[in-house]
Amino acid sequence: MNKLQDILEHRHEYARDWKKRTGGRILGFYDVYFPEEVAYAAGVLPVRILAKHSEDFLTDRLMYGNCYCTRDMLNQFARGDYDYADGIVSVESCQWHYNAFDTTLIEKPELWSHYVFTPDYTDARTSKNVMRSELDLFRRKLGEWTGKEPGDEDLDRAIDVYNRNRQLLRRLYELRKFDGTPISGSEAMDTVLACQVMDKAEANELLEELLEETESRPPREDCVRLMLIGSETYDAALERIVESLGANVVIDDLDNGTGYIMRDVTPQRDRLMAIGMRYLLKPHSALKDNVWRRRPQRIWEFIEDWQADGVIIAKQIYCHPHGSDMYMVWNLLRERNVAFHTFERDTTLPYEETALGIEALINIIKPGMTRLRGQEV
Amino acid sequence: MIKQRWETRPLEIWDRAKELRAKWQKSIDNRQHLLAQGNTVESDWSPGFEKYLKIVEDNPVGAFMASKSHSFARRARLASEVRGWGRELCGYVNNCWGAQFLGRDMDGGPFPYRDMCVPFPDVCDQHLKRGQQCMDLSPIPRWGGDMPIYPGERDPKRDEEMIEHRVYCNLKIIADIERIFGIEFDDERFVENIKLREKLSAYGLRISQLMTQVPTPLSAKDLYSFYTLGDLTKLNPEEINDFWKSFVDEVQWRADNRIAAVGGERYRYMEAHPPAWYYLKYYRYLESYGAVCIGSQYSHIMSGTLEVKEDGSLAHRDVTPPADKPIRTREDAVRQWITEARGNRFKDDEYCRKWAITDFARGFKADGAIMALWRCGVGCTLTRKEQALRLSEMGLRVLHCEGSQPGDRTDMDEHGFLDRIDAWMESQGLEKLDDR
Repeated sequence: MNKLQDILEHRHEYARDWKKRTGGRILGFYDVYFPEEVAYAAGVLPVRILAKHSEDFLTDRLMYGNCYCTRDMLNQFARGDYDYADGIVSVESCQWHYNAFDTTLIEKPELWSHYVFTPDYTDARTSKNVMRSELDLFRRKLGEWTGKEPGDEDLDRAIDVYNRNRQLLRRLYELRKFDGTPISGSEAMDTVLACQVMDKAEANELLEELLEETESRPPREDCVRLMLIGSETYDAALERIVESLGANVVIDDLDNGTGYIMRDVTPQRDRLMAIGMRYLLKPHSALKDNVWRRRPQRIWEFIEDWQADGVIIAKQIYCHPHGSDMYMVWNLLRERNVAFHTFERDTTLPYEETALGIEALINIIKPGMTRLRGQEV
Repeated sequence: MIKQRWETRPLEIWDRAKELRAKWQKSIDNRQHLLAQGNTVESDWSPGFEKYLKIVEDNPVGAFMASKSHSFARRARLASEVRGWGRELCGYVNNCWGAQFLGRDMDGGPFPYRDMCVPFPDVCDQHLKRGQQCMDLSPIPRWGGDMPIYPGERDPKRDEEMIEHRVYCNLKIIADIERIFGIEFDDERFVENIKLREKLSAYGLRISQLMTQVPTPLSAKDLYSFYTLGDLTKLNPEEINDFWKSFVDEVQWRADNRIAAVGGERYRYMEAHPPAWYYLKYYRYLESYGAVCIGSQYSHIMSGTLEVKEDGSLAHRDVTPPADKPIRTREDAVRQWITEARGNRFKDDEYCRKWAITDFARGFKADGAIMALWRCGVGCTLTRKEQALRLSEMGLRVLHCEGSQPGDRTDMDEHGFLDRIDAWMESQGLEKLDDR
């Protein structure tokens, strides 16, 4: 286990310790469309609220039809797992996320809160103006809350730290492009998730170390290379099941994976506009990819560039954006003869049931694979 | 106790409503117009293309399918599911676009394929993706838009860029449609429609106000036959105006003369969001207890956003009035129409005006509530549990029923629902009037 994986596993302890060390405030956020740079520039630590299933006596009273992830987010607040969070913030994106945010405030009205409207129609000439205006408001609200409104220098520093983080994570992803990738899918996903719950400056130092160590690792045994598409995930449980079957997830099209690390903030004089543009132009989630369809091309490029042999589509049950996008994804994969397996995720991943479907996919792929010739099928 | 407490009689305007609905259906079936998939409520500019273009949502099409032919709706949903769409998605969507994949409509005629897709912004996540299947099927022109929202008090400063964004998106759509399809936009017609909207909202409000009276002259079930006319089912503005004027007159007459929707009215209940379109029978069943449904925030949508004023009267929420200036250009007209960034009734009532549901209950003198839980509809179910708790706190007895979605009969336990209704009524000391 690398150091970042360890922080992910003990993320609440990390956050409490960070607070003690720095005296800073912690802001929980729900969605990868949240412009973390602005909060970070104000000296606040943005921490992604990650779902984790545990005993639940509350959410059924307040929620119905939600995906399990958002139920678990509410439940964790109710249990006190996020007792270190001073505030929470939501953005215009998945409505279940918004519901978790809204309902958490009913349970915990003492939390500071804010909502950033990030246009769902990202391509209009006016979308960037709305985004900028929302970021400006957010900056002012943060100033009122913390007593210090972040200025240009603070924003520049935050942009540098966040861009560096994305660049390092992309380097890690680059290592997975070729046969014998030195890093497993689960380790890569854990690392990306860890970066979402910790101080990015600290994460960057650990990432530098990890990259140096990973690049000197001997290549892993070649195996079936898979791509993971679907709803957001909050751990690497699925990647671990794939690995237990002798395959590896080498690339993903997930909001919390490539959706988080692709595209930097391109610096410009107007810092807020620069940050806003990053979020309007980043690889879009199924929800915001609703007019100009960029997901099909992107998915295909990932398959080609990362040499994926097949695709797993893991849709969270009640995830409407992904449920509405699968027609397009299936069409794409069928047109290009890419083997795929679709399944619905729920609260937990039962090993036998999940492995059975993935094993079938691997068995479809393997017989035709020349680079694995000679290996037992 | 007597079974009949109030005089009742059928609505005289019912046949006219049926004619208008049939006319709308025919205009789609005969392909007299270009067809656009999109949100009709958010496309109030569309009468400017009245001669050439009709905007058709997958609702009421999807709800109509569920109501009229369970077997066709099932076939349609299967056609959609096998192509990848989630089985737990909105039934309206899967019914309508499943029929697209089957290539035919419920009556066996060819499916009315869409020629373009205008925005269907985010009332719920499912709405946002509602145009996706026809867009993914063929490369039709498509546009986008937003329905901005933020919790808390309205902030005019914050609204400025959002309003500019909405104005820009709508002007672009009109200009692009003219350019791409070579059809002319009738600006005068558009302005007339803006004025008509104000009238319709006033008519709607009057109907809602009359329904607060005991006995209510109209039940929610009656209202469902009319509330989409001029809105989801857009028709000639003059015809719609005449219809609503006559409708208000008739309901006013019924109220003045104590003509009840349900002769045995002794219990008033409210709902939230759409009912099970395939099983409206439960309204009749409840009438046997003397229970009448006075509607929901959803069914009273033709009235705009409602609130109870300090004097106890039901009225429109105070909104930003349009700027008092003459309409000289198309942009002026769009600005006259879009005066608020955050105008959507559903989202506002659920997130920002959490008291709206209790206001509604007070305003309509509700004794109880049936809160359907639709697990396949984000917008149809979001915050429903919270709302039920608020109603319970104010003393209303709340009954939940569960199902897939108002347009999807799959998981609705109809007999079980009736059993629960019996228990709900009996727990409040009410027996069937017939049993006495």
